[in-house]
Amino acid sequence: MSRASLLSITAAAAALLVPHVAAAAAAGVPSPAVQIAGGTTLVTQPDSSASLAGVEFVVRAGLDRETMKQSGLAALVAETIVQTPVGNPALLLQDAIAARGGSIHFTVDPGDVRFYLEALAGDMPAVLGLFRTAIAAPDFSPATVRAARSALIRQIAQNQQVALQVGLDMLSAASSSQANAGLPELGTPASLAQLFASDAKSFYRTYYRRGGSMISAAGRLDGLPAGTLGDLAAALPAGTTMPVPVRVAQLTGATHEIVAHRDVSSPWLIAQYPAPRVDSNDFGPMLVLAAFLRRTLSDIAQVPGVVEPTFASRSVGAVYAYDRAPAILVLYVNGGLIGNPGRAFATALSVVNVLAATQLQGSLEEFKAEAAGDFANDATTLETRAWLAAIFSRESTSPDFINRALAAIASTTPADVQRVARTYLGNPTIALVLPRGTNLQD
Amino acid sequence: MTLRAPPFIAMLAASLFFAASAATEAMPQQTGSLPRGGSYVLDPDPTVGAAAIGLWFRAPGAGYDDQTPGISNIAATAAAVAPLASGKSLYALVHSVGGDLNIEVYPDIVGIGAVVPASATRRVVAALTAAYFAPAIDEESVKTAQKNAAVLGVQQRYESDATLHDLLFRQIFASGPAHYPPLPTSVAQLTSVSTAQVSAFAKRAFRAENAVLTLTGNVDASSIEAVTDGDGRGSMDAPYDSTLAQTPKSTTTSGAIDGLGLAWIGPPISDEKASTALDFIADYLFRDETGVVTKALDASKVDAVVVGQFITLHDPGVMVVTIGGDRQKDAKQRVLAALEAMQQPMDRATFEAAREAFLYHVAADTQTPQERADNLGWYSVEGNLEYAPGIVNGSYERAARDLDPQYVADIVRRYLRQPVVVDLTAAALQKETPQ
Repeated sequence: MSRASLLSITAAAAALLVPHVAAAAAAGVPSPAVQIAGGTTLVTQPDSSASLAGVEFVVRAGLDRETMKQSGLAALVAETIVQTPVGNPALLLQDAIAARGGSIHFTVDPGDVRFYLEALAGDMPAVLGLFRTAIAAPDFSPATVRAARSALIRQIAQNQQVALQVGLDMLSAASSSQANAGLPELGTPASLAQLFASDAKSFYRTYYRRGGSMISAAGRLDGLPAGTLGDLAAALPAGTTMPVPVRVAQLTGATHEIVAHRDVSSPWLIAQYPAPRVDSNDFGPMLVLAAFLRRTLSDIAQVPGVVEPTFASRSVGAVYAYDRAPAILVLYVNGGLIGNPGRAFATALSVVNVLAATQLQGSLEEFKAEAAGDFANDATTLETRAWLAAIFSRESTSPDFINRALAAIASTTPADVQRVARTYLGNPTIALVLPRGTNLQD
Repeated sequence: MTLRAPPFIAMLAASLFFAASAATEAMPQQTGSLPRGGSYVLDPDPTVGAAAIGLWFRAPGAGYDDQTPGISNIAATAAAVAPLASGKSLYALVHSVGGDLNIEVYPDIVGIGAVVPASATRRVVAALTAAYFAPAIDEESVKTAQKNAAVLGVQQRYESDATLHDLLFRQIFASGPAHYPPLPTSVAQLTSVSTAQVSAFAKRAFRAENAVLTLTGNVDASSIEAVTDGDGRGSMDAPYDSTLAQTPKSTTTSGAIDGLGLAWIGPPISDEKASTALDFIADYLFRDETGVVTKALDASKVDAVVVGQFITLHDPGVMVVTIGGDRQKDAKQRVLAALEAMQQPMDRATFEAAREAFLYHVAADTQTPQERADNLGWYSVEGNLEYAPGIVNGSYERAARDLDPQYVADIVRRYLRQPVVVDLTAAALQKETPQ
């Protein structure tokens, strides 16, 4: 794509916008509080207007604690905890929490496993008590581990029908410097079949330690008795753990392509780039750059003249996943919902290349505003707020995610955007997820 | 309790009501009159960086004579894309400050919602009220709105939930706005509406005194001062209720996709306890992941998607269940069997766990500023703001806690016996042929 056509895209996007609109300034939102208790970082964000409390418990027991033969073990242990019988009469933890007016789910990240619990404020102490019981002494009986394995296999089957998830998993596997950190989040049915109660118990005993763990709570917290969060952290024994080192040689060459066939209804094209952490000077510029790419892709896909979102405009996107390690930028196109997905994708990649070579002309303000709006508007659920505070607390000098992000966006210059484009958007890894029975030429 | 909204918009609002009894530093929810007509509801939460602004009206979707289906949708969109005094439209302004604008049109009401960074609240309040209280709709904006509606209407043909919803309402209501789809799928119908008709409709429907402004998230009362339009005369329109069919009939019809819809006529919004009981039943049976019917379908590996909700309306509300995916007839039988079982009181322990889960689900679904703004607006214009789950000391939580197994069973027997059924079958030409 030529510079002229890039600018025409930019101009088209900007045509809707007020020139020189100031990006949102810092929102003046109170900063979360941080304290350390027995090796655990406690982050709190009281919100007295909330009726719920949300608690994220992050343990250093993620994918990088698995060996290459243990794919899925971190998830198996987490699911076993969720399925551990608690209370009297005994119910599975997830059912006991639901009956108390709450919910629990977990996510396995490259370095962590994180449990998110949410409940009506008055019920939260009881819900945390149930969780504490389960995580302190999970039921590693063969029956519970078998049930956990079955649950994971059902979830894997569902995930395999989500093309974007399939693509991201492949890209993660291809781009991780630690090979085990790029293993599938939940493992595979085949790998899980090789994991037994003794494996789960051993993993738990080795890696469920207090050191490096975090508890981030948000919402209506005034109903929690003093010391509740510290007591929850104390459910795990002291000690720290280290990742299992599994190095693989980096792929060489320029652009890489990975192709997979799944039971999906349409082809998906996904490009992944490395991206900066939240403590980097490049964080704000990357947020702005992601907003620019999101707008550009949407403009390419949208039905001309239509103002509300359509299937087409929702079929493309750009996601800056700064909350994962390593951070990534992902562009995607769902080929089933727009007329020429290859063209849209190629155009997006061309825009990225031009950005790296050419400084944006004109005002950045509209894209800074969009970046600020996206960040602020996405950070409104308790779960998101708890997680962002945890991430910023761990990876930067302050957990004040909203004000820091908005300030970083506001100070971004065109030169910053070009620098970031040049630094990170060089050689994408591209995943193609195709319906079974089709090929690249279809 | 729920309303039908685009899938990317989370449902409804609330949450202060659970906190009423605890010591709190929360700012109180405020209601009052706008400077030049209409009212507002302010529900601040200074711990988030975003603000949600809603503007809700009572307006008949097919026009004041029910002769122009889609006019409410076209008028609402045209007002959003028409140039304001600054030369820029509301739609463009909201996007320029990094926000999103959603236009939600229902048979009897219209809601315009903007979610923006908190620093932009005043500007957006000013632009939003100017765009609707003093609409400057021209030929160009109507054309844009018609094109927008046409594309969305065609798209909706492939959304079984929305399509079935409209078809069920057509069977249940013999006349009035609910008999007509708020977004017709006929392009000819949409383009036949003239600019003069749209402009006249907008000036009547979007009067300041016919509006409720909702402000939630990181907002304060100073934003109310940004409202400078409106003439302050008159009062809000009476609710636009529709006339029930004397004997609603089930039907089979063809469309772009397959689906099954079931509907039951429920209580008006004024019957708070019965409405809450129907919300509870929908939650217990049909909620994603936790619903009894949902879980049974998952366990049986039936790949059907069942969506159930009670739609709280002025009079009457409607329970709607839509079924898509595979083996829809099997799923329908499961739905009917589950409802039949609920004609008997649930055992106390199961009921109490389900009610606690229900209270949590309501709060969880209504925690963001946008959800709160939508909820407050919806309940205001449907005629019972006090019943909105977001009101401090409101009646919704009390009604939920007053439920008991016998009452719920009574409600099932009273309202949920024989449904109106719409069987939507894909036209032969549009069916996919297995390879």
